[in-house]
Amino acid sequence: MRELLRRLRFLLHRDQFEQDLEEEMRHHLALQAEARGSADPANRQFGNITLLKEDSRAMWTWNFAEQLAQDIRYALRMMSANRLFTAMAVLSLALGIGANTAIYSFMDAILLRALPVERPEELVVLNWRAKGNTPVIHGQSGSRHGDRKTGIVTSPNYPFAAYESLSTKHDQLATLFAYASAFHVTIITRGQAEVASGLFVSGGFYSGLGVPPAAGRLILDEDDRAGAAPVAVIAYRYWQRRFAASPDAIGQTLVINNVPFTIVGVSAPGFFGIDPGSDPPVFLPLHAAPLLAQRPADDERRRFFDKNFYWVEMMGRLQPGVGIAQAQAALATGFHSFVDSTATSAKEKQDMPALFLEEGAAGLDSLRRQYSRPLYVLMAMVGLILIIACANIANLLLARAAARRREIAVRLSLGAGRWRIVRQLLTESVLLSSLGALLGLVVAYWGIQSITWLIANGRDNFTLHAALNWPVLGFTLALALVTGIVFGLAPAIQATRIDLTPALKEGWGRRFRLPTFPIGAHQFLVVAQIAISLLLVVAAGLFVHTVSNLHSVDLGFNRENVLLFSLNARAAGYKDDALARLYFGLRDRFRAIPGVRSSGISTFPLVSHFVNSDRVILPGAPPPTDRQANTNLLNVDPFFLATMQIPILLGRGIEERDMASPTVAVVNEKFAATFFGKDNPLGRTFGVGDSKPTADIEIIGVARNARYNSIQEEIQPVAYLPYTPKLGGPGAVFFQLRTAGDPLAVAGAVRQIAAQTDSLVPLTGMNTQSRQIDQTISQERTFANLCTCFAALALLIACVGLYGTMAYAVARRTGEIGIRMALGAARGNIMWIVLREVLKLAAAGLVIGLAAAWGTTHLIASYLFGTRPNDPLTIAISVAILAAAGLAAGYAPAWRASRIDPMTALRNE
Amino acid sequence: MEPEQRTEIPPGTLYMLVLRTLARQGPMHGYGIAQHVQRISGDVLQVEEGSLYPALQRMLVKGWVVAEWKQSENNRRARFYSLTPQGRKQLAREIREFERVTAAIVRVIQPA
Repeated sequence: MRELLRRLRFLLHRDQFEQDLEEEMRHHLALQAEARGSADPANRQFGNITLLKEDSRAMWTWNFAEQLAQDIRYALRMMSANRLFTAMAVLSLALGIGANTAIYSFMDAILLRALPVERPEELVVLNWRAKGNTPVIHGQSGSRHGDRKTGIVTSPNYPFAAYESLSTKHDQLATLFAYASAFHVTIITRGQAEVASGLFVSGGFYSGLGVPPAAGRLILDEDDRAGAAPVAVIAYRYWQRRFAASPDAIGQTLVINNVPFTIVGVSAPGFFGIDPGSDPPVFLPLHAAPLLAQRPADDERRRFFDKNFYWVEMMGRLQPGVGIAQAQAALATGFHSFVDSTATSAKEKQDMPALFLEEGAAGLDSLRRQYSRPLYVLMAMVGLILIIACANIANLLLARAAARRREIAVRLSLGAGRWRIVRQLLTESVLLSSLGALLGLVVAYWGIQSITWLIANGRDNFTLHAALNWPVLGFTLALALVTGIVFGLAPAIQATRIDLTPALKEGWGRRFRLPTFPIGAHQFLVVAQIAISLLLVVAAGLFVHTVSNLHSVDLGFNRENVLLFSLNARAAGYKDDALARLYFGLRDRFRAIPGVRSSGISTFPLVSHFVNSDRVILPGAPPPTDRQANTNLLNVDPFFLATMQIPILLGRGIEERDMASPTVAVVNEKFAATFFGKDNPLGRTFGVGDSKPTADIEIIGVARNARYNSIQEEIQPVAYLPYTPKLGGPGAVFFQLRTAGDPLAVAGAVRQIAAQTDSLVPLTGMNTQSRQIDQTISQERTFANLCTCFAALALLIACVGLYGTMAYAVARRTGEIGIRMALGAARGNIMWIVLREVLKLAAAGLVIGLAAAWGTTHLIASYLFGTRPNDPLTIAISVAILAAAGLAAGYAPAWRASRIDPMTALRNE
Repeated sequence: MEPEQRTEIPPGTLYMLVLRTLARQGPMHGYGIAQHVQRISGDVLQVEEGSLYPALQRMLVKGWVVAEWKQSENNRRARFYSLTPQGRKQLAREIREFERVTAAIVRVIQPA
């Protein structure tokens, strides 16, 4: 305690301490000199005075902190003395660290963040996998993912009976709960309609996850029963948005697909369900699902009594001490015997689904499935950029270390320890990288915004929220420390490895005489930078090429000036003829809007990833067995094909009179060629579907091939059928409005007409056809945009590096160049000498970069379209760009070298 | 320069030597302490300044000695160190410890 006081007093009287010590030394030396007779030997025997003082001081202070503060003060002074250097270093680091932080925040949001529930690490998701087409499954509502190579499909959907049978197995799982997507529902609150996603959940859903209510109560087992009063839980954000977080919301009525539900509670803030890729505002009991269907009795039978209809998804919580493999073994056995009992024939016992468990801590994997590979590719790219930036700063530091040789030699000879100087230099570089990281956070913030904007691409239901949270900030901090040490350590060690005498003899103003260009670290770093830049430029070139290929795909229809939007009148209670009358009436009113040329209706828009595909049955032929015999279907009104400008090549289009008896079809060229070869298809008939269809659909026309759901796939057979309101499904239709000018200009008028007609019919999905198509290739576009930015960044940083290295080399060779000029070398020769160096470096970098590109571009092959991973043209252009950039960066130093005045140069020598 | 055979002070004993010197001689300056140790030890022990002054600072921090500027015998201003009661206690502790260790070493190297 007293010791602390003494130390504090020391801190306050530092100057006094220094003076005392100084005087004490002088006294000691004087006495020693008197004893010996001369001042010099005493001094020598006395040894390192500076070190002695340092050691004496060290006794008093908290040495580490003291030195750190001192180092930082010194580093700040050095940084403000070299403003240009500092600015360049901080800026390139800010770009590098910022890009990394931005991409990492997406990784954090998509791949790493755990669900905001209790002990998420105990959660497991129940999936199944099977080979082939699983004949035991008669129907499915949900999702399936197939692997093209292995033919294995995986899915999270199960029959309700399987959930009941598995939930009795309590020795492995503490709880098991089920849920199913309600897909899109129409919600009407306080007279306002909107379309949103919803989730059906079992009674144990919230208690199983450990999510508390923010208000009211959550869905319980007694709510999830056939015949229970319909109740709903709303999400916190929806509560804030629609009810201003008022407690009055509890007990109010929510009309969902025309069925009234009572709000019983609000789930905890931050809870979004179990899929980070969606954010449903309403949660309903599983047993409420049939209420929303068109035919509730049929739907209930199918969902709850058909053991071959797969629809519910399940998640469980492991018993403490039970491993995931152990639980999987037990549950898989249970599920196998269940499936076995539902298979009624030998055929159905083939390719039966087998249960497996996946970790559920991060929730369902819809986003991960979509983005994890692209994110790793992007992370690799920004990592490379950071490496280039580090190489640049290491290069600049090496150059500066050479310029600081004398300073460091002086400090070493005055008694500074080597480690002490290395530490001081490292403090400088870590300070640089920390400043870079600080500025990088600004870059990252901006980057996150623009990447979100790029990926969302106009979609209003985009739910991915990357943010600068604590884990991300931690990552940035770690990055700053690591980069600071990475680019600072080598120069620091090199700087302190000095032969003192020659270093001290060098005059302050004199250059170091080195016989040739210093081969070594500089060159190596520049070559590496060029190689990495080439890699990034090639990648950017391939993605840009891909996007331009995608844009130039012949769609078969005119994408420009088409407005798209969807209306769902069935959800507002319209049925059959009333539904058709409403839609057709609206269509005619939309067409009357000034600026609208024509308007058509279809069940979904073209190239939107909506698909309706079914088997084609030809009269007299046996039912086909493989997928080759499928056709895509689209229900359209008489004006759709004309509005989209899809020409009829043969026969006639769909007309008003066909709407009454919808047994006619217009097919595309591919359909005609696939099913009728060279025969005339007009008047021929076919049927679609599984259950003994009659082949009574007559082909009345052939339309030109047009893209159906994707611009990347091959053209497939398509049959356009007349739209009829008796179709199953949700009953929504899409309108296509062809306009004279900007299609969005008529959006206001469209909304007005829809609201006037019936404000309870929600209007959604307002978009333009061309943006809709862009959204289907948003991944490719995002890649192309980001990659181009990254490549430009890398190129810029590498050029700065090349320029710096050459400028430095020229400065070092001023004397030599002066001599050459004095001996009669022409200016052109001097330029060539320098440019030759540049070319050598660039060539070495390009060769290495080409080899690297050759070896790695196949990794992005799956993101390319219409181009090969090693597309010679792209690679040639990339090499040309880099060579040109390299020469441009090298030209200025070369020019300056050629302008050296021999007299001045030699006088300096 | 005459080649002198002087032994470095065994590690850890410098504090004890300085404290002992101050206890016997009263307040002294750094040079005097070094000289005294050297003389008493018959020129065997050589106190390096590089370790003496940091050690004195350490003892100031620990509160074993206090320092004071005074006129020296030959009319120079010098910094005199003197023992505190705490330093006296520390000296006793150091000597006890030193004797224990020395006795142990002697036992080990004694011929049987």
